[in-house]
Amino acid sequence: MAQTKVIMPQMGESVAEGTVAKWLKQPGDKIEKDENILEISTDKIDVEVPSPAAGYLIDILIEEGQTVEVGTPLAVIADSVDESAAAKQAAPPKKEKKAEKAPEPEAAPKPVEEKPKAEKPAKADEPVDKRKFYTPVVLRMATKHDIDLDSVDGSGMGGRVTKKDVLRFLEERKGRAEAAAPAGERAEMPAMVLDGSEEIITMSNVRKRTAEHMIRSKQTSAHVTSMQEVDMTPIARYREAVKDEFRKQNGFPLTYMAIITKEVVETIKEFPNINASVDGDKIIVKHYINIGMAVALADDTLIVPVIKNADDLSIRGLARAIYDLAHRARNRKLTMDDIEGATFTITNHGLFGSVFGTPIISQPQVAILGTGAIRKRPWVVGGDSIAIRDIMFLSLTYDHRIVDGSYGGRFSQRLTERLESWDPSRM
Amino acid sequence: MARKKVVGKTVKRATSTAGKIPKLKYPLKKKDFEQLYRFMVTTRFYEDKLPILYRQGKLFGGVYRGTGNEALAVGSAYALEPQDIIAPLHRDAGAHLVRGQTLKRMYCNFMGRACGPTRGRDGNVHHGDMSINIIGMISHLGTSTPLAVGAALGMRMQGHNIVTMTYIGDGGSSIGDFHEGLNFAAVRKAPFVLIIENNQFAYSTPNRLQFACESLADRAIGYGMRGMKIFGNDVIEVYQACKEAVVWARAGNGPVLIEAETMRMRGHSEHDAHEYVPKEMLEEWARKDPIAINRNYLTKHKIFIVKQLDKIDEEIRREVDEAAEWAESQPFPEPESVEEGVYYEGEIPGDRRLSWLSR
Amino acid sequence: MAEQVTYIEAISQALREEMKRDEHVFILGEDVGIYGGAFKVTKGFLDEFGDERIMDTPLAESAIIGVGIGAALVGMRPIVEMQFIDFISSGFNQVVNVAAKYHYRTGTPLPMVIRGPSGAGVSGGPYHSQSPEAWFCHTPGLKVVVPATAHDAKGLLKAAIRDPNPVLYFEHKYLYRRIKEVLPDEDFVTPIGEAAIRREGADVSIITYGAMVWESLAAADSLAGEGIDAEVLDLRSLLPYDKEAILGSARKSGKVLVVTEPSLSYGPGAEFAAFIGEEAFEYLDAPVRRIGALDTPVPYSTSLEKEYLPGREKIAAAVKELAGY
Repeated sequence: MAQTKVIMPQMGESVAEGTVAKWLKQPGDKIEKDENILEISTDKIDVEVPSPAAGYLIDILIEEGQTVEVGTPLAVIADSVDESAAAKQAAPPKKEKKAEKAPEPEAAPKPVEEKPKAEKPAKADEPVDKRKFYTPVVLRMATKHDIDLDSVDGSGMGGRVTKKDVLRFLEERKGRAEAAAPAGERAEMPAMVLDGSEEIITMSNVRKRTAEHMIRSKQTSAHVTSMQEVDMTPIARYREAVKDEFRKQNGFPLTYMAIITKEVVETIKEFPNINASVDGDKIIVKHYINIGMAVALADDTLIVPVIKNADDLSIRGLARAIYDLAHRARNRKLTMDDIEGATFTITNHGLFGSVFGTPIISQPQVAILGTGAIRKRPWVVGGDSIAIRDIMFLSLTYDHRIVDGSYGGRFSQRLTERLESWDPSRM
Repeated sequence: MARKKVVGKTVKRATSTAGKIPKLKYPLKKKDFEQLYRFMVTTRFYEDKLPILYRQGKLFGGVYRGTGNEALAVGSAYALEPQDIIAPLHRDAGAHLVRGQTLKRMYCNFMGRACGPTRGRDGNVHHGDMSINIIGMISHLGTSTPLAVGAALGMRMQGHNIVTMTYIGDGGSSIGDFHEGLNFAAVRKAPFVLIIENNQFAYSTPNRLQFACESLADRAIGYGMRGMKIFGNDVIEVYQACKEAVVWARAGNGPVLIEAETMRMRGHSEHDAHEYVPKEMLEEWARKDPIAINRNYLTKHKIFIVKQLDKIDEEIRREVDEAAEWAESQPFPEPESVEEGVYYEGEIPGDRRLSWLSR
Repeated sequence: MAEQVTYIEAISQALREEMKRDEHVFILGEDVGIYGGAFKVTKGFLDEFGDERIMDTPLAESAIIGVGIGAALVGMRPIVEMQFIDFISSGFNQVVNVAAKYHYRTGTPLPMVIRGPSGAGVSGGPYHSQSPEAWFCHTPGLKVVVPATAHDAKGLLKAAIRDPNPVLYFEHKYLYRRIKEVLPDEDFVTPIGEAAIRREGADVSIITYGAMVWESLAAADSLAGEGIDAEVLDLRSLLPYDKEAILGSARKSGKVLVVTEPSLSYGPGAEFAAFIGEEAFEYLDAPVRRIGALDTPVPYSTSLEKEYLPGREKIAAAVKELAGY
């Protein structure tokens, strides 16, 4: 059943409606295509409207003298007259623009009492108690770290609690918590010798915290480290070729770490249980991948900023993130957000020349990957030949409570495979 | 026959001896005559269909036609070589056709379809196509004048000996860009031809309220370039004059300004009933209809007989209907594509005159 | 080469190097050839490149820009010079309606640069001191860049010339001979759309560009002694602008001051402030504040111009207020 509607045309950009002036055809009339079937009148001009199709005029929807909006159907044209009966049922009821509005709903009954005309003084004139004025960042941090803002001293304008105040509060709270945590058994300190042959250095907070964490980690996890040799030559060659251009284009370098991190992330996807933490007798496997990167600071202390959602980043994105975090770490500009939430850590002990390592797991994670220095070595390639290749050793420490030798070993093996088969299309 | 005094040579009206193809300074073969006629008739039929489509709700926005301007648009564009560049205006649909644009694409542009030359991003007559050396217009009249000058200079700098041609109305000739562009072209001796289509009215503004000088062609004197004044409804005369101008410009003599007298037979746009035009004026110019003049010429000189011309008319009518129907069936652009193309990304390929439209 | 190069020399270098690198590049504008340019940017170019590639034009900004567009359409890469950026308004239509919309409408790329001296502080009065970037930032299809250093004056101009889109390059006349830097020997380009941190700090972030970068740095230095550590982010590009860099800085400090030279109301600063409010709301520890010039035309007399413009004292006072919020 082929029907075509005749619609009210728009005669000019500002014209919104038109009036049906005169119907030149009547229902039942045969119509040729482009034959004029009605006259319309608009603000700008009176014109005839040609039929958009050939057939029979079966229904007139808008009567002469009525004004309708542009686009309103005016009539229906059908292929054949037989359809006129069916079409009459399908045709929309005749509408008149003025009658289109639905009747107004009953007005709500007026309130019994009239509100007093005098208005209350505007809120803006009332002084705001700044002590209780919390900005978005302060509220967010309070929620995240479960802080009762009433107990935080405010140093801002009018006694306002500022972001710095919250950060300071957190530092102090953490310090108090660690002081209260049970320390492992320590050997007794030998009596001090005051003859100048020994020096007493008071531990800084960072040092204390690191010490606590390391010993606690060793006491918590069943540390096993296994090593893998990796032929990094394809990666090394690519990096050599493009590193200058990359740096110029991007303002940050393309490091081995960026590429290795990418492959670690991809391998974690295949071995999800290595991206987990332990809680009592439960293993919590994380579906997000936050990679901690160990950074050594100028004073030889260690900090581990985190690349959040590393699986969302390309190699270039990882390179940027690594550069940014390392830079901020060295300038002491990391935020709480930056050092929390890692699910897997990479430590580049090779930076200091070592080829193998036995890294300590960062609790509550279940594994940590150490990357050794990349050295040129004579290596067996293609079965029987010797070539000089860029070789790196991976040292994967895993928690044997959670990760068995075979799982950890296969993770290492797969990572090695991925690194050895690397090609630039993975950029 | 009055000849206005302008800089440079005046152009003779083409005279004829009945029965032979008349001697013309720039000769035309039989196939040229047929082409000129065809292009004019195609323009007429293509444009005649536009208001019908408009009132059927198949086109949106505004409809602009150049009824009465066919000879000027076709005759001028026909005078160019394939490597030349043209920047037509809204009454010059015939020029687009002469230069190779298709009816289908032109209807698609009016209908805002994805396959049109602007992919639905600009409408009605604002289409160009750099792959066939057509620079598209924008609504602000006069802007195409400096553009065409720049294209001429740019091509010359790359060692190409081409001419650019653009148009302006009697109204448009009042705007700054017209004057700035002509001056620039004359100072730099750009190989450039500007045709003023004096169709007596700029929307509702008659010539007497538009300019005070006796003749727009005289502006050429002011800018130090060659000028001509011609009758715009005789396609043969238009062709001769424009060919002369193009040859002149190509030879390195500098730009040429041509004023062509014609008449805008319809309203400024489809919703303008142009009641401000005196009835007698319309009647007088209806007697000078360009297609009628050309038919007369062709039959008088026995280049074609009426039956042949009528047959051509029929063919074209079918072509035009098919093109409109085809265009109607084409899809609209995807809404998600709206933000694409604000910038060009990547390297520009070596040959700039290839089509950029990958769709 | 340890020789120091001024901001304006860096511009000349970029122009000369790009003209040599690509024969499609040419310069057109008033007095660029015989005179070498009103500020001598193109001194010597006429002898080196000839009078077609160094085109002395009539006084007709609209046509100059239009001719540039026409030439770009057929394969050239024009660099249109506006003698003072203030005069670009005489060709406004060609910029915003022809050039800006060309590729979107037709798919044909339009590589061109429109450059000229902008900015106040030299007693130029209302018509030789404007910073009209807002008009053009609000026009999709254009790119707008505003170098603050000699390095970026060269790098951004090269990037603009090599970009296949119409790029407006606003060089700041106050900085022309007041900045000197050593530039790299090798060819370099400053990518469009990337900001640069000029001074790192964690207490307050100053988002700025152009000559105001130097005023902001001076303000930051004066506050360092008071224990306020301000960061200065030089946007370098206004369209497109480096959203990541702005957010990074805003999140770090939570307190942001946007400093722009043109009049405050409806200026580019409003865009950055709104953006930060939308995207970094949860990191804010104070309302985002803006500093701009007064809402008047640029006045001529020195006493008035000084009052009109933002400067280091006004910036420092605002930073201090934010730091103490």
